[in-house]
Amino acid sequence: MKLRQSLSWLPILGTALIIALFLSLWAGALPLSPAELFAILCGDRSSPTHAAIVLKIRLPRALLAGLVGAALGASGGAFQAVLRNPLADPYILGVSGGAALGAVAVLTLGYSSPLLLPVAAFIGAGGALFLVYWVAQAHQGSSHTLILSGVMVGSLASALLLFLLWMSPADPVRSAVFWLAGNLNMVNPDWLPWASIWIGCAFVGLWRQSRALDLFTQGEEVAADLGLNVGSSRLLLFATAGALTAAAVAMAGLVGFVGLTVPHVVRLLWGASHRHLLPASALLGAAFLMLADALSRTLLAPAEIPVGVVTALIGAPFFLYLLRKRENG
Amino acid sequence: MITVENLHFSYGREPVLCGVDFAVQKGEILTILGPNGCGKSTLLRLLRGVLTPGAGRALWDGKDATHVGRKEMARLAAVVPQSSQAPFPYPVSEMVAMGRYARHAGFLGESAEDRKAVEKALALTDTLHLVKRGVTDLSGGELQRVMLARALAQETPLLLLDEATSHLDLDHRLEITELLVSLNREQGTTVVQVSHDLDLAAEISHRILLLAADGTQAALGSPSEVLTATNLRKVFRVEVKVECNPYTGAPRAYPVRSCHRWKQSPPRIHLLCGGGSGGELLRRLNLAGGEITVGPLNLGDSDQVLASVLELETALEKAFCPFSEEALQAARTFCQQAELLVVAPTVWGPGNLASLDLAREALSRGVPVLLVDPRSERDYTDGKAWEMLQSLHASGGQIVPDAEGVLDLLKAKN
Repeated sequence: MKLRQSLSWLPILGTALIIALFLSLWAGALPLSPAELFAILCGDRSSPTHAAIVLKIRLPRALLAGLVGAALGASGGAFQAVLRNPLADPYILGVSGGAALGAVAVLTLGYSSPLLLPVAAFIGAGGALFLVYWVAQAHQGSSHTLILSGVMVGSLASALLLFLLWMSPADPVRSAVFWLAGNLNMVNPDWLPWASIWIGCAFVGLWRQSRALDLFTQGEEVAADLGLNVGSSRLLLFATAGALTAAAVAMAGLVGFVGLTVPHVVRLLWGASHRHLLPASALLGAAFLMLADALSRTLLAPAEIPVGVVTALIGAPFFLYLLRKRENG
Repeated sequence: MITVENLHFSYGREPVLCGVDFAVQKGEILTILGPNGCGKSTLLRLLRGVLTPGAGRALWDGKDATHVGRKEMARLAAVVPQSSQAPFPYPVSEMVAMGRYARHAGFLGESAEDRKAVEKALALTDTLHLVKRGVTDLSGGELQRVMLARALAQETPLLLLDEATSHLDLDHRLEITELLVSLNREQGTTVVQVSHDLDLAAEISHRILLLAADGTQAALGSPSEVLTATNLRKVFRVEVKVECNPYTGAPRAYPVRSCHRWKQSPPRIHLLCGGGSGGELLRRLNLAGGEITVGPLNLGDSDQVLASVLELETALEKAFCPFSEEALQAARTFCQQAELLVVAPTVWGPGNLASLDLAREALSRGVPVLLVDPRSERDYTDGKAWEMLQSLHASGGQIVPDAEGVLDLLKAKN
C-alpha cells in the first residue's frame, strides 16, 4: 500500500519552470538565438551588451515574476483551504483593495519614490487583512463571516480608492491604474534578495502548516475533533499566507488569476494534500507568471501589456472552462 | 471514564439541555436516544468540550472537558460525524491519515506506526480497496466508512458517533454496527453514540440514555429498562407495543399509533367483520386512534386474533358456531354505544347473517352505517344477505369502496 502521495509533480513542474525561465530570458525586443542565450548563461561574455541585457535586465525580471507567481500560487492554495472554498483567491479577503488603497494614497500624495510604493501597498494589504480578521473574530471567524467581511472591507477600500483617484491630478492616476492592473516593471531589482528571503521564509512557514491546512478543508469542527487548535492555527495561517500575498502585491500590483487558478489546477491533477499542493502551486505559479510576463513583453512589442491583463486573458477563460466542466460532471 | 454532572445548556435564551446526569463507563456501548432537537448532538459536543455548558460539567477522569486541550482530546476520543461532504479531492489514504494529526508533530512523512494504524483502520472498515480513490468520487456509504476509518486511525479508547450510520443502506448500517460491537468486545473500545434507530440501539447498547423533547433526562438504563411503552409514550408521544425480537431477544418497539391526530375526540366505532375481511379496517382505524369495538366474532377467526392483539373490545362466540343470542347481545351493547357502524366486506353465511340485524337497528336509531364494498358474490345465504345489504343501502347505509374511504369520511367529519 502506498500512503505517500506520488511526487510526480516535482519533475513535471520543475521542467516547466526551467522552460518558462528560458523563454522569459529569450523573449524581448532584442532578438537572440537560443544558442546565443545558452552561451551567455554558460558564461560567454563575447558580447557584453547582450550579456548585460540577459543577466541584468531580463533575469531579475524573470526572477521577480517567478517570486510573485510562487507567492500567489502558494497563498491562494492556503486561503482556499482555510476558507474551505476551492474558488477563493488570495485577494478575497480585501487584500487587493487594501494594497491598492495604500499604493494609490502614496501616489496621489505625490510621493512617487519606488521605495515607498511597495511599502505602502504592503501596509495597506496587511491592514485590510487585519481588519477582516478582527471583524470576523467576533463570530469565531467562520469562513462565511470572513468572506463577507473581506468583501465589505474590499468595497470600502475601493470606494476610498475611487475618491482618491477622482481627487488627484491625471499623472499619478495613470501610474496608479497601470500599477493596479498588475505590473512587474515598477520594483527596483535591488530588492530581489530581500523579497526572496521574505517570501522564502513565509513559504516555509506556510508549508510547515500543511497538515493543519489539510484539517481545515474538513471543516472547523472536524478539524478541532482531529486535534487542531483552530483559533490559533487560523491566525498563524492568515499571518503567513497574508505575508505572501502582501509581498506579491507590493512587488507587482494586482496580478489576478494566478492565486485562483494555479492551486485549482494542481488539486485537479495531484490531489489536495497540502504538503504537495503548496510547493507544486508555488512552482506552477512561478512558471505561469514567467510565461505570462514573457507574453506581455512580446505580444505588442515594443509596447508592454500589464502582466495582470495577460494572466486574466489566459486565466479567466480557463477558469470558466473548469467551472463549466464542474457543473457538467 | 466520563462523568456528566447536572449539565445545562442553552443556545441564547432557548434551553437545550436541562439537568443531564450520567456517567460513561469504560468498555460500554451507550446510546443516546431522543426526538429531533432534544439536544443529542449538543450533548456530544458538551462531552468533548467543544461547547461550554451553562451549568454543570463533563469530567474526563476528573478533568473538566473544556480544560482538556484539543490535541489531548483527539487522543482520548474520536468523532464520526453524521454525514460529510468532501469538497477537496484527497485520496482515501490521506483522508484516513488525517486521523493521525494528534499523534505526532512531524509535518511531512508518516512514521511506521502511523502507517500501521492507517492500514489497520482501512482493513477494519473494509475500505482497503478504495485507498487510491479520491474521496470526491466515493458514494455516501463509502465516504462514511472512510470517516469511520479516520476515527479508528486516531486509536482512541472512546468513539463518539453522531448518527454516523443513519444515512447508510441497511447492509452497511449493519456492517458498521457489527464492527462497533466487535471493537467493543475485542479491544474494549468504549462507544457513545447518538441514534435515531431504536431497534438497532436496543440490539447493541449496554445502556441507553433517553432524552425528552425539552432536553431533560427521561430515562437511563439497560435497553429493556429504558425502551418501555411508558417511556416512549412520554418522549415520542406515540403508542408503542414493546415486544422481544425473536431472533436476538432485544426489546423491539412497534409503533401502534401516534397519540393525537384528531381535532375532536375520535368517534367510537363498531365493526362487523370476520374471516379476515376486517383486517385492514381494524389496523387503519386503530392507527388513526379511533375507539373501536368488534363483533360478534368466532374465537380463532383471524379478525378475532388481530382484535385481541390490538387489545380491542370484542363480542365473542365459540369457534365454528353460528352466532348465539348471547354473542349478538354483547355486540348489540357495543353498537348502542357506537357513533358509527362499519360493515366489512365479509362473506355472509347462515352463521353470521344475524349480525346484519345489528346494522339495521343502528340505522333505525339514526346511527350512520358504512357498507364497505358490498357484493352479491360474497353471499352464501341464497340471496338473503344481499337483499339485506341492499335494503340497508336503501335506508341510508352509505357505500364506501375500501378502508381508505372509511378514513377519508372520518377525516372529513373531524
